[in-house]
Amino acid sequence: MFPQFGATADTLSKASTMVFRIGTDAHLYDDPDDVSIAPLLDSKFDSEKCEALKRLLALIAQGIDVSNYFPQVVKNVASQSLEVKKLVYLYLLHYAEKRPNEALLSINYFQKDLGDTNPLVRAWALRTMAGIRLHVIAPLVLVAVGKCARDPSVYVRKSAANALPKLHDLRQEEHALAIEEIVGLLLNDHSPAVVGAAAAAFASVCPYNLSLIGWNYTKLCEILPDVEEWGQIALIGILLRYVIARHGLVKESIMFSLQCTESSHSVKDGSYVDFGKVKESTDMGGTCDYEFVNMVSRCYIEGPDEYLSRSSYANRESFELTCEQFTSGKSNDDVKILLYSTSPLLWSNNSAVVLAAAGVHWVMAPKEDVKRIIKPLLFLLRSSNASKYVVLCNIQVFAKAMPSLFAPYYEDFFICSSESYQVKALKLEILSSIATDSSISSIFREFQDYIRDPDRRFAADTIAAIGLCAKRLPKMAHICVDGLLALTREEFVTKDSEFGDQEAGILTQAIISIKSIIKEDPRSHDKVIIQLVRSLDSIKVPAARAIIIWMVGEYNSLGELIPRILNTVLKYLAWCFTSEALETKLQILNTVCKVLVSASEEDLCTFKKIFSYLVELAECDLNYDVRDRSRFLKKLPSSNLVFIGQEERTNDLPEKDLCVVAECILGRQTRKVKAESFSYRFYLPGSLSQIVLHAAPGYEPLPKPCSLFVDDLNVPEGTSEIKKRMAEHSVTDDYGTSSDRSDDESASDYDSQRSITESSGSGRGDDSEFTSEGNDNADPLIQISDISNAYENQNGVSQSSAANLGELMSDRALESWLDEQPGSSNPGISEQSDIRTSSARISLGDVEKRVKPKCYSLLDPATSGNGLKVDYSFSSEISSISHLLVCIEAYFKNCSSETISEITLVDEESDRTLDAEEKAADVNESLLASSNNVPTLVPMESIASLEPGQTSRRILQVRFHHHLLPLKLALYCDGKKLPIKLRPDIGYFVKPLPMDVEAFINKESRLPGMFEYTRSCAFTAHIEELDKENGDSLFVKDKFLAICESLALKMLSNANLCLVSVDMPVAANLDDASGLRLRFSSEILSSSTPCLITITVEGKCSDPLNLSVKVNCEETVFGLNLLSRIANFLVEPTLF
Amino acid sequence: MPPLMGIEFLCRVSDVLSDYLGGLNEDVIKDNFVIVYELLDEMIDNGFPLTTEPNILREMIAPPNIVSKVLSVVTGNSSNVSDTLPGATGSCIPWRAADPKYANNEVYVDLVEEMDTVINRDGVLVKCEIYGEVRVNSHLSGLPDLTLSFANPSILDDVRFHPCVRFRPWESHQILSFVPPDGEFKLMSYRVKKLKSTPIYVKPQLSSDAGKWCVNVLVGLRNDHGKTIDSITLQFQLPPCVLSADLTSNTGTVNVLGNKTCSWSIGRIPKDKTPSLSGTLEFESELERLNVFPTFRVGFKIMGVALSGVQIDKLDLKSTPSRLYKGFRALTQAGEFEVRS
Repeated sequence: MFPQFGATADTLSKASTMVFRIGTDAHLYDDPDDVSIAPLLDSKFDSEKCEALKRLLALIAQGIDVSNYFPQVVKNVASQSLEVKKLVYLYLLHYAEKRPNEALLSINYFQKDLGDTNPLVRAWALRTMAGIRLHVIAPLVLVAVGKCARDPSVYVRKSAANALPKLHDLRQEEHALAIEEIVGLLLNDHSPAVVGAAAAAFASVCPYNLSLIGWNYTKLCEILPDVEEWGQIALIGILLRYVIARHGLVKESIMFSLQCTESSHSVKDGSYVDFGKVKESTDMGGTCDYEFVNMVSRCYIEGPDEYLSRSSYANRESFELTCEQFTSGKSNDDVKILLYSTSPLLWSNNSAVVLAAAGVHWVMAPKEDVKRIIKPLLFLLRSSNASKYVVLCNIQVFAKAMPSLFAPYYEDFFICSSESYQVKALKLEILSSIATDSSISSIFREFQDYIRDPDRRFAADTIAAIGLCAKRLPKMAHICVDGLLALTREEFVTKDSEFGDQEAGILTQAIISIKSIIKEDPRSHDKVIIQLVRSLDSIKVPAARAIIIWMVGEYNSLGELIPRILNTVLKYLAWCFTSEALETKLQILNTVCKVLVSASEEDLCTFKKIFSYLVELAECDLNYDVRDRSRFLKKLPSSNLVFIGQEERTNDLPEKDLCVVAECILGRQTRKVKAESFSYRFYLPGSLSQIVLHAAPGYEPLPKPCSLFVDDLNVPEGTSEIKKRMAEHSVTDDYGTSSDRSDDESASDYDSQRSITESSGSGRGDDSEFTSEGNDNADPLIQISDISNAYENQNGVSQSSAANLGELMSDRALESWLDEQPGSSNPGISEQSDIRTSSARISLGDVEKRVKPKCYSLLDPATSGNGLKVDYSFSSEISSISHLLVCIEAYFKNCSSETISEITLVDEESDRTLDAEEKAADVNESLLASSNNVPTLVPMESIASLEPGQTSRRILQVRFHHHLLPLKLALYCDGKKLPIKLRPDIGYFVKPLPMDVEAFINKESRLPGMFEYTRSCAFTAHIEELDKENGDSLFVKDKFLAICESLALKMLSNANLCLVSVDMPVAANLDDASGLRLRFSSEILSSSTPCLITITVEGKCSDPLNLSVKVNCEETVFGLNLLSRIANFLVEPTLF
Repeated sequence: MPPLMGIEFLCRVSDVLSDYLGGLNEDVIKDNFVIVYELLDEMIDNGFPLTTEPNILREMIAPPNIVSKVLSVVTGNSSNVSDTLPGATGSCIPWRAADPKYANNEVYVDLVEEMDTVINRDGVLVKCEIYGEVRVNSHLSGLPDLTLSFANPSILDDVRFHPCVRFRPWESHQILSFVPPDGEFKLMSYRVKKLKSTPIYVKPQLSSDAGKWCVNVLVGLRNDHGKTIDSITLQFQLPPCVLSADLTSNTGTVNVLGNKTCSWSIGRIPKDKTPSLSGTLEFESELERLNVFPTFRVGFKIMGVALSGVQIDKLDLKSTPSRLYKGFRALTQAGEFEVRS
């Protein structure tokens, strides 16, 4: 009527909701892109960035792909605001896998954050970095995790433990050992919070490496109650596995009772004693289903699939548990301590912890103690429907294996109307399996109420449960049958059509239950069958009728009464045959046959008539099944089935056989099938598999008892062995674990004061030996007794060789340089550094001239080159076209006797027909402009012809894009195409960056922590040199200089670097080269990022030297690659 | 992952979220989606729970409250992410924030009990048990160490504890010794089984009278324990074959909902009369007998009494500060209280 009023009301209500939503982010969610997000992201205010990120998050939440903002968002990782960081992390983790290349851009920021003084920032950075699941960064994450695992903050260490499974998920074999070592380290942590997370990591990373647990088993047990709840769950499972693997099952436990009952007959007297003991305890703890328990325990250990599959080959017992595989819970300390430490957890607030602890007691506890798990388990039933269901699934197995445990607590399984059907059904099943003579009456009273429940499916289940109870307790059978009969009478009085299928289901279920009770003991129930038959007239449900008719046929000769009524019944059935449903018809046919087979003489004639009548009827039935059945039965000749009129009874053998067949099919009473079908599958209590009843991914049965040997656990030996393996591993790997550790020593203390001194220490450069191994810190301190002596010594040595090769800095320069050291607040460190600075700086003048770049063969004349030989070496020239290009000198030599013409080298993919120059311009453009980062070659100027023996030199320019895989090229000569491979060398992806020592040290100090990578390797090339000089006595070079020279030469001939400085040690021992240090500087071609390399020598001059190579570079991936390349070529023998 | 762990974790998430947002529904989550994201990020990582302790979470991510909302509107700055790592993450008692300060030291202990009862068709008490919780609200400075003991611990059938409770003193002396979290928390839950009587009785009667079915329900007090019983309600599901129901009561209001649920809220039982509900049911067709009977679910609340009989003996604080206010309360309400007809 008044639309404007409506509008006002609308705005009013909007306004009122606005009031409530002020300050929330609702407006961002409702309309996330009402402003443009991109400029907000680039804003310099954190609040605006925050808003932009929230808008992005809202879009993500609404399922919109906003990954195109990735580069802009990633930039903001560097933000100082934690909220911005957090939001960026959320965004990053959402899209990292989708846009791996951009995600890599963020790595450097993470590295920086990992060195932050705020533990929260460190933890977040680690968590997010590990969350970016890219194989490329796995080594970096591993290094970061290794560092954080030694972090002083508990929270960061916990994050490190949480990051391990993520790292493990990348499935990189080469890191497996390192990851396991970190798990071991974290399991050994003193903080419960870390241990919990480490336990979870252990469970997902290396669940089989139980020896890791063995080393600190007792400690883990003791710390268990203090571990946070989620970790407890994992830890309980691990400890259980360990104890089983180490000691085997416990003799007094439920799991054992069966093994001995089986094996005691075959095994010697020792086990007989055990058997007696077990018997006793069984009597104490009540009955338990041996066969069932046996199966359960075997399933726990082998996994049901394996166990059940074996059963088909009838060698189920092949896996025999010998008595040696058991231990006594009373004498074994490990078992005792596990039970002791898990028992209070039964009171935990967390239901999963309770169930896990209960599982341990179920498997390990002595029989008489198992009952302590019952009350806690029952207490769990007072929780949500979902967890109720899970708990009940587990209780069900326990109750079936040992009904006596739960029998007194039957009331707890009484059903509430508010429970879900699944819970109700489970409770019924448990009730029927724990019912005892004393409790059955109250259970039946309950059942009577349940039958009236509005949930008819549940009511039907109740009736089935009554049948089960009667089976378990034969004494109750009569009462049950009476009750069920009364029920059927009630049920068929009600007009079933009105209530539909469900009531019919109840009636059918009642009849099925009666049938199953009768089957147990047919003789005592013949009257029941007669009663049912009498009610056939009123029971309309086909399924129910079919079952009753089946019973008539099955028990037709039972007792006195049934045979007498058969005549009437069959007539009745024949009379109503046409109006029956399918299943009833089939059943009628069967029954008449059965009756006929076992009929006595006097009734035979009537039965035969009925039979032939029925068969005729059935042959005309609409349903093919009925027709088939009738034909089958008709052709089945039997003495009694023979039609009237066929008087001549031949005693032919085949006919006799057929009689037997008929008897077999129809005549025999069905044999008693085993009540319990043993197709159950059992999984460990509390596991997901136990709920879904098939092995869920990741499910593992218990380890084989006693599969873990004591030898594995020899603690010190084991550790050292692992360490040794780790050390070996680290040499072959991209980074050294040992050097990591030393890094950690310096990085582990984030206390601000220390970090200041530390950074000033690295500002001083080489002298403060923070980053090198701890053991060499002490040596020179003790050995140098008189510092000035050492100076003289060193000076003398240097001067003697100065004229020849080096120019030694003057004493004054050295001293002034020493004075420059910034004063340290830590006297201990400054004192140390004073002494450690006893080194002299020299310069190697002519080394650069002697640099001979290494030559590689591109094309071998003998094998594939038709006499053309192509060699190449990386050149230190800088490309004239672009700074991104790497110059390579290629030498083409004609080794054949004929002239080779038209030699060109092109990318394998590129088209040759293009004019070279045009193409060059073309390619130049494209390769400089495009972001396409496939390595490209600037086409080379072709060689028109090459005379035999002639050599031609060409400069190739290649843009490698930091790819380290061989570049496939095609060489055309004489019109033929030859595929060749050019191997990139990361050493030439850099160009020399000249600088002085101060600048170097300054730069180095700005690239600490994560931008610093260290690795050690051995160096032997100098030995040759020294040997050579020993022979040549005229020219005695200083050993140190020789080493410096060979080192520098090696470096410069393998990488495009600039030698910044050479520091000589001043040591008392002339033969001790420790402390020799070379610095090289370079910058990365593509990004002009400085890359600093420091090599520190350690060891004796005449022996192989131990080099520690350090690379400081902002680009971590590049830095690590360069480091490994350097370490590789330093180890290679020199070819002079 | 064990299924119970997943279920338990989801329960925690829902607890934390409803604690933060004051409820849990789609709208609330939409309105606070940033906080929800941030919380989930802190709570779970790579499928494993990270920080579920509400105290720590509250320090890491500030819950939205009026003050912060107003502040954010005024200043435009709305960071709810803390800059510092809560101190408790590293401590052995992660549930307790580091060193809170209070002018008044107060501890309040509430016994909240729920009564689960099943009365069968014959009016026999089949099951009657109490599920109780000890809820503590503590505002104590520093690092208080509390001990709480019961006068009659033996009646407790089973217990479950907050992680702060030390197990061993309970094992040996049935004493609760703990360093409480700050604020409100559930110290323990317990169960007392096999109670003998219920505070109220419900007598439902269904009778057929010439094809019509009459319902008659009486509710009354069974024994007087001196406390008034509040907010008594009765709910039941009418059988599916019922066409219509005509139900009236002498006290309170009766509602029949669309899904054939009938609820009768009585409130307090008046002194002078016994509340009764009566009426007739009309079925689709005439029935001589009914094969489905409704179950009546009863709700009530009694302030000031713990029906289980559990009594707190004393609450002590080690290293007593100058003053400590202690308060005790009790409350019993109906849990799964069912009367079958």
